[in-house]
Amino acid sequence: MLRRKAAIVGLGGIGLLVFVAVTAPWIAPYEPAAQDLANVLAPPVWDGGDWAYPLGTDALGRDVLSRMIYGARSSVLISACAMLIGATLGLVTGLIAGFFGGLADTLIMRLGDVQLALPFILIAIVILGMMTERSPVHLIVVLGIPAWIVYARVVRARTLAEREQDYVRAAETIGARPLRRMLRYVLPQVRSVMPAIALIDLSHLVVMESTLSFLGFGLTSPHVSWGQILADGRQNMVVSPWLPVLPGVAIMLTVLCINLAVEGMRAQVEPRRRWWSTRWRRLGPRETQPGASALSATSAGPATASTPSAVSVPGDVLLDVRGLCVEFPAADGRVVQAVRGVSFTVGRGKILGIVGESGSGKSVTSYALLRLLSAPGRVSAGSAVFDGVDLLGVPERSMRRIRGRRIGMIFQNPVGSLNPVLTVGYQMVEAIRTHRDIDRRTAVEISDRVFRDVGFADPAHVMKQYPFRLSGGQNQRVMIAMTMAIEPELLLADEPTTALDVTTQAQVLDQLRRVRDEHGTSIVIISHDIGLIGEISDDVVVMYAGEVCESGPTEQVLREPRHPYTQALLESVPRPETGVTSLLRSIPGELPDPAQESTGCPFAPRCTSAMDVCRTHRPQPLTVSPAWTAACHLYTEERTEATRR
Amino acid sequence: MLLYIVRRTAQMLVVVLCVVTLVFLLLRLAAGDPARLMNAPDAPDDVVEATRVRLGLDEPIYVQYLYFLRDLFGGDLGQSFQGGYSVAQVVFAALPNTAMLAAVTVLVSTLVALALGIGAALTRGSWLDRAVQVYVAFAQSIPSFWLAVVLVLIFAVQLGWLPAVDFTGPTSFVLPVTTMAVALTPILIRTIRQSFIETLEQDYIRAARARGIAQRKVLLVHTLKVASLPLVTLIGLQSGMILAGSYVVENIFNWPGIGKLAVDALTSRNFPMVQGAVLVAAVAFVLVNFVVDLLYTTLDPRIRLRRAS
Repeated sequence: MLRRKAAIVGLGGIGLLVFVAVTAPWIAPYEPAAQDLANVLAPPVWDGGDWAYPLGTDALGRDVLSRMIYGARSSVLISACAMLIGATLGLVTGLIAGFFGGLADTLIMRLGDVQLALPFILIAIVILGMMTERSPVHLIVVLGIPAWIVYARVVRARTLAEREQDYVRAAETIGARPLRRMLRYVLPQVRSVMPAIALIDLSHLVVMESTLSFLGFGLTSPHVSWGQILADGRQNMVVSPWLPVLPGVAIMLTVLCINLAVEGMRAQVEPRRRWWSTRWRRLGPRETQPGASALSATSAGPATASTPSAVSVPGDVLLDVRGLCVEFPAADGRVVQAVRGVSFTVGRGKILGIVGESGSGKSVTSYALLRLLSAPGRVSAGSAVFDGVDLLGVPERSMRRIRGRRIGMIFQNPVGSLNPVLTVGYQMVEAIRTHRDIDRRTAVEISDRVFRDVGFADPAHVMKQYPFRLSGGQNQRVMIAMTMAIEPELLLADEPTTALDVTTQAQVLDQLRRVRDEHGTSIVIISHDIGLIGEISDDVVVMYAGEVCESGPTEQVLREPRHPYTQALLESVPRPETGVTSLLRSIPGELPDPAQESTGCPFAPRCTSAMDVCRTHRPQPLTVSPAWTAACHLYTEERTEATRR
Repeated sequence: MLLYIVRRTAQMLVVVLCVVTLVFLLLRLAAGDPARLMNAPDAPDDVVEATRVRLGLDEPIYVQYLYFLRDLFGGDLGQSFQGGYSVAQVVFAALPNTAMLAAVTVLVSTLVALALGIGAALTRGSWLDRAVQVYVAFAQSIPSFWLAVVLVLIFAVQLGWLPAVDFTGPTSFVLPVTTMAVALTPILIRTIRQSFIETLEQDYIRAARARGIAQRKVLLVHTLKVASLPLVTLIGLQSGMILAGSYVVENIFNWPGIGKLAVDALTSRNFPMVQGAVLVAAVAFVLVNFVVDLLYTTLDPRIRLRRAS
C-alpha cells in the first residue's frame, strides 16, 4: 500500500514537471533573459523579498522563478528526447538481434559490449566541450545514443524468449510475415519492462544534463538549464545561498519522483518483496516463549492427549516430543498450521523413522526441534524434552551448545548443506573445533580418521576440495563424517538419501547404522520412503497433514498397519514378499490445504474406509498395544470393547 | 584459468585500441583544425599552414593516426598548447591524485555499505531497515555537484570546520569523499542487503547453524563470504561513475586530479591536453574493469575451478 502511494506521488510529480515544462512561456512571469538591473540578487519572499520576484533574482537581475521554469523545460525536453532516441535505437537493434540472431546478433551485441567497456560519459563531455555553440539538439544526440545498449539487451532477451513460444511458432506455420509477427507478439511483452528502464534512464539523463551544464559544457545562452543556474549561483553563494540551492532541490525532487514511480512499478511486478518484512531475528529465543508457556495449555489442543501414560520421562528415552505445533503466518493474515500436535519419543541408541508424503510436516518438525525454522514460522505450542531440557524453552545461548554438539543434523540436499566458497576441510575443522577444545592439528587428525571411516581413501584430498567438486553421495558422507567426529547423542537425518542414486543410498544407510552401532547415537530419520524406513528404523511415526496418524514399533506397524493411510502408503511401494503380480496403488487426491481449518479426520477425503463420523470428529490416538497407537475411528469400537472386558 | 586470462587480456587490448581510436577521431571531428586552434585567432594563413606542416597535419588522416599510435607507444602524448609542457608528464602527475580520491571513496563507501546493508538485511522491516531505505532513496536522487556546493556552503563557508578547496591535509578528503560516497553507496547498499538476504535463506546457512557454529561466525564468515561477491563486480561497473564524479568533485574542490585537468583543458581549448587526459582516464577505466573481472573469478572458487577444468 505504501509503495502504491509512493508511486502515485512519483507519477504526480513527473506530471507536474511535464505540465510546467510545456506551459513555460505562459506561466513564467518574465522572459528568462530579461534583466532588472535595479534589483540584482534580490532575496526570495521568505527572506524578506518582494512578491514581484518570488524566488528572488540572480546577479544579472533575472527572475529566478522564470529561469527555473524555463530550466524545467530544457531538462524535460532534453531528457525525454534523449530517452526516446536511446529507447527507439535499442528497441530496433534488440528486435533485430533477438529475432534474426546469427551474424546480426553477434555484431550488435559485440558493439554493445565494447561500448559498455568505454567510459562513455567522458567522451560525451569531450564532444560537447569541444563545441562552441550547444543547442538542445546537440545534447539530445550526444546523451541519447549511448543508452541504446541497455534497452537493446532487454528487448533481445525478451525477443529470444518469445520466439520460442508456441503461438509465435504457430503464427510462423500459418505464414504470418516475420516483421508483423515481431511487432505483434514481442512488443506487448517488452512493454511491461520498458517503462521502468526508460524511467531509470530518464533520471540519469536529468542528472547528466544538469551536470554538463554545471561544468560549463551544457546548453549555451540563451538556453537555460538547472545546472547552469546552479553554476551561475555558485559565484554568489556566500551572499545568496538560495541561488545554488534551488535548482539542486528541483533536480533532486525530479529524480526522487522518478525513482518513486519506478519502485511502484517494481512492486507490481514482484509482489513477493513484501514478504521480507518479517524479521530474521525472530528465530531467536523470543519466539519460543509461547511454546514454553503453552506446555500446560496443549492438553486442550485437538491431538495432544496422545501419550496419556508417560508423565515422567523414563531413563531410556532421549527425546520426548509432546503436542508440537508449528505455524506459519501467511501474507494475507491467515495462519498456516504446518504441524498440529505431534508427539513421539526417541529411545537411547534407537532409530526412529518419520514417514509421510511431502508437505506432511516432517521436515518442519525437525527444524522446529533445533529451532531453525525460517522466518516467519514459529512453534506455537508443545514441548521437546531432550535429556531433561526443553529444547523449545532454553535460551538461544544454551541452544547453540546443543546444536551440533548434542544434536546433529543431516539435510536432504547434501551439496547445499556445505558452504560453496569454503573448503570441506575448513568446514570440518570449524565444526569440530566449535564443539571440542582442541588445536587445529588434532582436529585435522580426527577429520582424517572419520573421513576414512566413511570410506574416503584420500582424506587429505577431500579436505582441500570445495563442496561442489564432490558428488551428492560424497557430500552426504562428509556430513556423516562430521557427525562421527562430533559424536552427538541424537542425529536428525532429513531425507538423507533422497537426492542420491540407489547404490549410494545403500552406502549412506549402512553408514548411518554404523554411527548408531559404534557411537550409540540415537537417530531420527525422516523420509517419504516407507520401504527405507522399514529397513532401518526400530520405531516408526507416520505423519499426515501435520499430524501423527500411527506410531509404534516398525516391525509390527508395517506388518499389520492399522491406519488406512499407513496401509495405503505400504500399498504404494513395491514389496518383494508380495511378488511381482500384486498391483501397486497410488493414493487418490492430495494433501488438504494447511491454511484451511478442518473438522474431522484430515485423511477422510482420501480414505477408502471413511465413515460419517470421520468427517465430523477428529480421531484421537488410540492405543493398539503398549507402544503402538493409531488415530482412526475404525478402532474406536474395538478399543472401548477392550476396555470393557 | 590461464586460457581465460589470455582471452580476457586480448579482449581488453582490443577495447583499449578502440578507446584510443575513438578519442583520436572524436577530437579531430569535434575540435576542428588543431593548427588553427594552436595559433591566435587572427593569425595569418601562412603561419597556420607552417604549424600544420610542422605537426604533420597536412598528411592524410590515417597517416596521422599511425603517427599518433607510434608516439603513444613511445609514451609521448604531445605538447601542451599552453606552456609547452609534455602532456604525459602533466597527466601522470595528476593521475595519482584522482586515484587516491577514488580509492578512499571506494573504501569508505564499501565499509559504510557493508555496515548499513548487513544491518538492514538482519533487521528487515525494523526502523533501521526503513531508515536505510530512506537514505538510499534520497542519496540516489541527490546530484553530486549540488551536494558538493551545499557541503561547502555549510561546512566550509558557514561553519568553517573543513577546508573548501585545495589539498591541505587529510581533512581535505572529507568533503570530496563524502560527496562521491553519497553517490556511490545507494547501489552498494541495495546490492549487499539483497544478496545478504538471499544468502541467509540458503540451505548451507541453516546447516551451519545446525552444526552449532556461533552466530557471529555464521554471519561474518559463512554468509558474508558469499554475499559480498557481487560487490566486487559492482564496484568495477561503477568505476565509470566514479570517474565521472571525479570530474565534478575535483572541479568544485579544486583537487589537482585528472578530472580537473580535463575540464580546464577543455575550457581553454588545450587540445593535446584534453586528448591526453581523456585517453589516460579511459584506459584506466578499462584496466580497472579488467582487474575487477580477474579478481572476481579468483575470489569465487565456483568460477575459478570451473574455468580451470
